[in-house]
Amino acid sequence: MLKPSTLAMILAGGRVDELGVLTHYRPKSAVPFGGFARVIDFPLTNLMRSGIELIAILSQYRSYSLINHIGTGAAWDMIGRNRGISILPPFKDYHNPHWYRGSADAVYQNLDFVRYKNPSEILILSGDHIYQMDYRKMVRYHKKMNADLTAAFVEVAPEKAHRFGIGEIESGDPVGGRLLSYEEKPSTPRCNWASLTILCFRPEVLYEVLAANQHNTSYEFGRDIIPLMMKRNHRVYGYKYHGYWGYTRTVQEYWQTSMDLLGPDPKIDLESWGIRSNLEHRGIRDCQPLLIGAQGEMDNSMAYNGCIVEGTVKNSILFPGVRVEKNAVVEDCVLFFNNVVKENSRLYKTVSDVNTTFGNGTRIGDRHPEESEGRDITVIGWNNSIPDGMVIGSGCTVHPNIDPSLWPIGGLKHGEVLQ
Amino acid sequence: MKDATKALVLLLAGGIGSRLNILVGHRAKPAVPFCGIYRIIDFSLSNVMNSGLTRVGVLTQYKPLSLMRHLGTGEAWDFTGRTRGVKILPPRTGEKDSDWYKGTADAIRQNIDFIRANPSKQVVILSGDHIYQMDLDDMISYHRKKRADVTIGMMVVPIEEIHQFGTGIVDNDNRIIDWEEKPKQPKTNLASMGIYVFDTAYLLDTLAKDKKEIDFGMHIIPRALAEARVYAYPFHGYWRDVGTIQAYWDTNMDAIRAGSEISPEQWGIRPNPDADGLPMDRAPARLATGCHVRSSMISAGCVIEGTVINSVLSPGIHVRKGAVVKDSVIFADSIIEEGAVVDLVICDKQAHIGKNAVVGHGENKTTVNKRYPTHLYTGITLVGKKAEVAPGVTIGRNCIIGPNTTFADFKDKKIIENGETL
Repeated sequence: MLKPSTLAMILAGGRVDELGVLTHYRPKSAVPFGGFARVIDFPLTNLMRSGIELIAILSQYRSYSLINHIGTGAAWDMIGRNRGISILPPFKDYHNPHWYRGSADAVYQNLDFVRYKNPSEILILSGDHIYQMDYRKMVRYHKKMNADLTAAFVEVAPEKAHRFGIGEIESGDPVGGRLLSYEEKPSTPRCNWASLTILCFRPEVLYEVLAANQHNTSYEFGRDIIPLMMKRNHRVYGYKYHGYWGYTRTVQEYWQTSMDLLGPDPKIDLESWGIRSNLEHRGIRDCQPLLIGAQGEMDNSMAYNGCIVEGTVKNSILFPGVRVEKNAVVEDCVLFFNNVVKENSRLYKTVSDVNTTFGNGTRIGDRHPEESEGRDITVIGWNNSIPDGMVIGSGCTVHPNIDPSLWPIGGLKHGEVLQ
Repeated sequence: MKDATKALVLLLAGGIGSRLNILVGHRAKPAVPFCGIYRIIDFSLSNVMNSGLTRVGVLTQYKPLSLMRHLGTGEAWDFTGRTRGVKILPPRTGEKDSDWYKGTADAIRQNIDFIRANPSKQVVILSGDHIYQMDLDDMISYHRKKRADVTIGMMVVPIEEIHQFGTGIVDNDNRIIDWEEKPKQPKTNLASMGIYVFDTAYLLDTLAKDKKEIDFGMHIIPRALAEARVYAYPFHGYWRDVGTIQAYWDTNMDAIRAGSEISPEQWGIRPNPDADGLPMDRAPARLATGCHVRSSMISAGCVIEGTVINSVLSPGIHVRKGAVVKDSVIFADSIIEEGAVVDLVICDKQAHIGKNAVVGHGENKTTVNKRYPTHLYTGITLVGKKAEVAPGVTIGRNCIIGPNTTFADFKDKKIIENGETL
């Protein structure tokens, strides 16, 4: 390969309401995942391993954290004469007064960039899935089929199919086939092959349909572009993916996907997947090794350098700089960077964003009588300082930066929101 | 705001450090791993960086490859930029001189061209093999305030250890008025840390005098006392020379002791994880169900299924079910197989301890190593780089299992007695 031929564009702009407080100050692609990394590290690593070295990231929502994380691109070896990551923020110009009005509009607004790169294929990815994939196989299939669009699909549980873009793929070939139908989030799905939002386009066709869709009022690849291409009888193919696919769209999914990092034979094996992150971000490369104290205890858990554990940690994931003090118990939790759990606290099933301190004797997530199986997850936004002895139920949400004086003396009941 | 930006740093990293035995079999002492993710030289380099100094020459000689790879471009310590840099200065063949570095002063003398090429008011000379945190900017300010020609970092050490050091007697103003190198009958407990600030002009002048003067402590400093202003810069913090196996082990253990004075992260010490050239990043340490870990340091990339007590583990170590690691320092990517016991051991990189093997067996810690009685005499057993310990073998105290030992090398031996070397 003399010059890069595939241009990858990562849709990293959005936030999702369901991730709530975790995306108040960052796009969903920059949400921490895996005890040291960010969600976007997964597609970036996949691209690196697939030898795709021309990358654009479309970012709009609170992009600072994302831009910071990408840095120079060196973490993924993406610097060099023919390699690089370009961040494409929204802009105004003579013709266009809009923010990105959707994923397809974001790409449309940057078509001058795309045409300048003159790629042979355009690979559109979403920045919020946890998976390992060699995109080269899919691009090869796309070329072999002489397709205008090849979209990757994975089988999901039938009861969940209504939440995804669902495609019927012509049977006969285990690799994939012509796409027979496509529906975005159908109320009665015809099958359970769900779109991964991994789309490989023939550039001229993409330019044409994006322009055609500008007359529309909605600008999404799943909702608008794929159906438009089906309607116009373009050559649209489905490519079947069979590996692990973790999604992080809701807090429940985020937590479940995180738990897939644990266990005797984790479904997500960061090192064998070759995951790279930007260790400069937050300076985590300079953290000293995890220190487990004389009374510390860890079981079925993960912790990165920079953590200090003097209490008990079970079935949990600790990001760099987390401190668990003596007699504190952390169970079924995901604690982001620099959380401090003070003495005698007990945290169950809590996802806590960065820089939160749990005061002495905090209790979170004690089982509510009405909860039959398992507990709901409590989510804490960043930069909170929870007063000593606070009792917080399961399924609660605490917004970022809560003034310590606003905490109700009686604590938070099951499912309450503090904002 | 630092005002020492004009000083040039020369870091002596050439010593063999042979008392570290097989740990320096294939690397220079400053490149020996320490405290999980660091190399010994990270402490000096980070002190230089945190003091705002930006131009560094590293004098290498003995097995420098591992050290050079570790330094890389110097980016890990922020030494890249137009007026920043870390340069490797190996011995070379010149028109007149073609020799190895014969001593500390000789090494600096052979790099006078580097000193001249980097104009400075002061030259800071450091050793690359000490564990400490120090503000060199403050030391340079002190040097200037005292209008000194030479300032030496000095600290009080226990009287029984003083014979290993250069020692000085100071007046009320901290000016050094008497000097003895490695005295048998010490008159003082104030020891040199091997950290010097020289006025550049004086340094160039004194090095030009007599080429037979090859050592700072033995030759240059005693003469300076007579002809120049030599001051002690008192240091009160944690400082260790990790030049022996025992000191190396003790210092690692200091890092995991509750209330310990040593804290690399708080000291701002930076490692260089990129130097390993791994294709992926190390994942967070994974502590499996049923593992048992106490009072230990565990680096990213470790997978712990067994027991780890009072130990320091570098990245990528796998302690399998039923294995026990106790009072030990294990370097990167070693595997401790099921049921193995590793007790009071320093284990180099990529070692492989077979199933149910015992390394460090028995209560007899006083039978010294027969080949190196002055290196191993407190019970510590060494396992070399890429060494394999055959399954079920029992190895005693003060033993050495050499680098690249294979299962086959054990032949039918089931027991390696205390003090033996394989």
